[in-house]
Amino acid sequence: MADESVASSAHRSVSRSGRIAIIPIVEVALLAIFAVLPLVLQDYLTIFVTRVLILALLALSFDLVWGYAGIMSFGQALFFGAAGYSVALLARDLGITSVFIVLPASLVIGLLVSLALGSFLLLGRHPPTTIFVALGTLTGSYAAERLARGWYYLGGQNGIPSIPTMTAGSYELVEGPVYYYLAFATLVLVYLLCRFLVRSQFGLALAGMREQEARIAFFGYRVERLKAIVFTLAGAIAGLAGGLYAFHEGFVGPNMLGVVLSTQIVLYALFGGVGTLVGAVIGVIAIEMVSFWLADSYQQVWPIILGLLLLLVILFRPTGLIGLLVSERERVGTFGRRPRTLPRADHEGQHGPA
Amino acid sequence: MESALNAIFDVLSFGAIIVLVVLGLGVIASMMGIFNFAHGEFVLLGAYTTYLVHSAGLPVWAGMLAAPFVVAAFGLVIERLVIRRFYAAPIAAMVGTYALGLVIRESVRGLIGGLYLFVPEPIVGSLSIAGVQVSQWRLAIVIITALVMVGSYLLLTRTSFGLRVRAALENPSLARASGISTSAIYAITFAFGAALAGLAGALVVPVFSLFADLGIRFLIQGFLAVMLGGVGTFEGPVAGGAAIGVMSAALPWAVAPVLADVLVFVIAIVFVKLRPGGLIAGGRV
Amino acid sequence: MDHGNADRGAAPTMSRRRLLQRAAWTAGAIATGVGSWVIRPDWASAAEPIKVGIATDLTGAIGYAGNANANVARMLVKDINDAGGILGRPITLLIEDTASNESVAVGNVRKLIQRDKVDVVLGGITSSMRNAIKDAIVARGKTLYIYPELYEGGECTPYLFCTGPTPAQQCDEFIPWLIKNGAKRFALPAANYVWPHKLNEYARKVIERSGGEVIFEEYYPLDQVEYSATVNKIMTNKVDMVFTTVISPGVGPFFKQLYEAGYAKRGGKLACVYYDEDTLNINAPHEIEGLASCLDYFRAVIHDDPASARIQAEYDKQFPGKILLSAGSGATGMYRGLKLWEAAVKEAGNLDRDAVAAALDHAKISEGPGGPAEMVPGKRHCKMKMYTAVAKGGNYDIVARSDGLVDPKTC
Repeated sequence: MADESVASSAHRSVSRSGRIAIIPIVEVALLAIFAVLPLVLQDYLTIFVTRVLILALLALSFDLVWGYAGIMSFGQALFFGAAGYSVALLARDLGITSVFIVLPASLVIGLLVSLALGSFLLLGRHPPTTIFVALGTLTGSYAAERLARGWYYLGGQNGIPSIPTMTAGSYELVEGPVYYYLAFATLVLVYLLCRFLVRSQFGLALAGMREQEARIAFFGYRVERLKAIVFTLAGAIAGLAGGLYAFHEGFVGPNMLGVVLSTQIVLYALFGGVGTLVGAVIGVIAIEMVSFWLADSYQQVWPIILGLLLLLVILFRPTGLIGLLVSERERVGTFGRRPRTLPRADHEGQHGPA
Repeated sequence: MESALNAIFDVLSFGAIIVLVVLGLGVIASMMGIFNFAHGEFVLLGAYTTYLVHSAGLPVWAGMLAAPFVVAAFGLVIERLVIRRFYAAPIAAMVGTYALGLVIRESVRGLIGGLYLFVPEPIVGSLSIAGVQVSQWRLAIVIITALVMVGSYLLLTRTSFGLRVRAALENPSLARASGISTSAIYAITFAFGAALAGLAGALVVPVFSLFADLGIRFLIQGFLAVMLGGVGTFEGPVAGGAAIGVMSAALPWAVAPVLADVLVFVIAIVFVKLRPGGLIAGGRV
Repeated sequence: MDHGNADRGAAPTMSRRRLLQRAAWTAGAIATGVGSWVIRPDWASAAEPIKVGIATDLTGAIGYAGNANANVARMLVKDINDAGGILGRPITLLIEDTASNESVAVGNVRKLIQRDKVDVVLGGITSSMRNAIKDAIVARGKTLYIYPELYEGGECTPYLFCTGPTPAQQCDEFIPWLIKNGAKRFALPAANYVWPHKLNEYARKVIERSGGEVIFEEYYPLDQVEYSATVNKIMTNKVDMVFTTVISPGVGPFFKQLYEAGYAKRGGKLACVYYDEDTLNINAPHEIEGLASCLDYFRAVIHDDPASARIQAEYDKQFPGKILLSAGSGATGMYRGLKLWEAAVKEAGNLDRDAVAAALDHAKISEGPGGPAEMVPGKRHCKMKMYTAVAKGGNYDIVARSDGLVDPKTC
């Protein structure tokens, strides 16, 4: 009996209590909608949604660090922009535009930069406070932006314009449905990877860290190491997004590195709801689409309307948009793998295949 | 020698400005654990109030006197309507206050037509002190800031009201258990922080002109100053603000301005890495 | 009243068509629109409108300038339509907001190119904005682009035409005038971005050629507001002409600190070539007394040129308030650009990009704010009259005029 209750509380499946898990439904619905969108939209809208998907990838990287590792990173744009600039330079100076080089390169650059920053901020004698990490990442982003603005080789204020189109062999990946599916495939792949990660044993440790860091440390988990790993992974993802973005937009500028973008991503993710992966994606999509629509209808005052909408949503649902769709318990989540069978009450505590 | 004196005075006056802006932010952060992303916009509102009073034909100092009270009232209303709901969710407070700041900033931008507008200082001209030309108004800013600091400090340490505020600052649950109405304290403290920001805005608008992005300009430095100074005390933000202000003004004398800018941040971060509590390690982090 | 992004420059008989177009756009905007390969019915109509797209900063930090550009466009398009349009066809004006933000801008510009399929795009104010949107318009969008704002020169992309002053136009007559009026020791404090770098590069040559001396040239972060170190350098080195390109928010405090240090009192002078009516209110009048600027238009030009007077009066009547017709905002360049384009379309007889570009290459207008203007063949830049003005008591006095049209000397 005791075993059963321990087992069931450790692997409490939401479906066992009768409620359906909403998050997977949301995920599948989004997947389906976005898979067919280019077939019904005009090109310019497809291009717009592509950009939103790439930003969603960036927001995902933030959700990973904040929602799962408790790192308030105001510097995701640093990795995004660093990768973007690097691949822009590759294209401009070395003529490299092949997707098979550019995407891995942007991944690696994001990884390296976040490794460097992460080790400085997260490792060391004293465990860092949330505020310190927040401002440390902010500084990284801020410093990089100032540097890029002042450095002529990087184009200064103007950035690097006229980046050629990405190629796959001799085929050009132009913006439109083709690039859309590239970005979409990347997003789905990374999303699945993250989902797998957070529901694995590693994710369990992260969840424990999120809930009660001191206790997990007492269990012997190297908390700083875990955080650094997640931070680096998120940096790699942000870098990947940066590479995609640079080639899609055709230019990179200091704004890609800066604090404004970093803060926007934090807000998009918080607005959508952190800790669920899909929440960050929803947040980006919601805000970008609303802005796009508002800018047409209320040309002079759309920033004010956007601000008011944000305020109202966050006032009534501090957990973000995802809080409108899913219950609090599901948002906080189930962790680990489900048992292969559910223990029955009359067994003598035996588990395993029936 | 002359230029050294010049440098010292300018550094001091810029430091004073930053301290004034940062103090309110720090107090609110220490007490409620909320980083008020709209703090810069309180500064903007103080500046805007001063401009409005001036353009209505009244003397500038009247506007400067009115600004802290106007912004305090505004802050009180905001606290009751919006901020109060965020005490339980400080992260959501970031989004909420950012959105608030966006609304205020863009509204002011629309009202002033997106331009830069000047507001004259109440005391025009410069004094000659030890051979150095010193702007009278900047001197006044330093003096007023010092007075406000001293006044606030006395209020906090010598009055029973101040005692209650400090209690709520250091240990809210115990304070509540002791019968202190933390809700009222929070409201008043928020209004006080807003008043300080409004005063800062009013005092600096003759120096920097009125423009919609005036607030944002100080926000990042504000956060840095709070982190550097340490959260949880009154002296913390003051020290942090002074440090950031002094560094921002002094470094361009020594290195290229483009570099000096970034250096302030890097120095602050490295410092906090080595001394995590900040300059005044005393309170909750 | 704006109806979203389409201004009704068309005659009422267009309304049903407009309604259907709007419906199609709305459907697209809520992501259930019609796919781009569906063939639209051929609405054969002799008076099919010409579509002009304006992509400018209506919101954000550059909003004051963008709105002036948009106003000028509205005013001109209405005038042209009232006079019967171009080639018998009315103009439909479509305005999109670039929001002082390059990422948002590109998305909105694409609406003009792909959804609205405009025949020309005018706009962009900062160089970084121009660089961000030019590919979407010219390369990927295969549309003509006219850039109206003063800038650093060197934009030689085909199908991209510039109608704002270049460093050569702002310095060639201006700096000799400054030196003739007593300036000898120049300081070049500047904001750290491309335009000041290029301008100073050119200005230095003219200064040295005309007998002046550059004492120092220094660059500051764009949002620096503390200039004590600079002011000190200026005072101790006995600089008598501060030729500055520091921009807001720094320029106000900079001039103030300079004044407080006693610079003007000892005879020092100021020169700032982007200073126009929009910037007059940043400082108290006594702080910028005697500041010299050189632009293609000042309000005071209405006393010189009757055509300018008429244009200014018309603008003031239609748009009273804070958004001014000024040269520093690109509004004058917008006027020039639209009028030159109009002339080019009339010459070409159709809207084919190459034909219009070829005609635009040597287009001329005889009237505009500041006077006539001429495109320099092969250079895609514009000759125009330049005026030197000095700030007196919070307003400008024109003190020198170019004899003819000044050459942009770029590309």
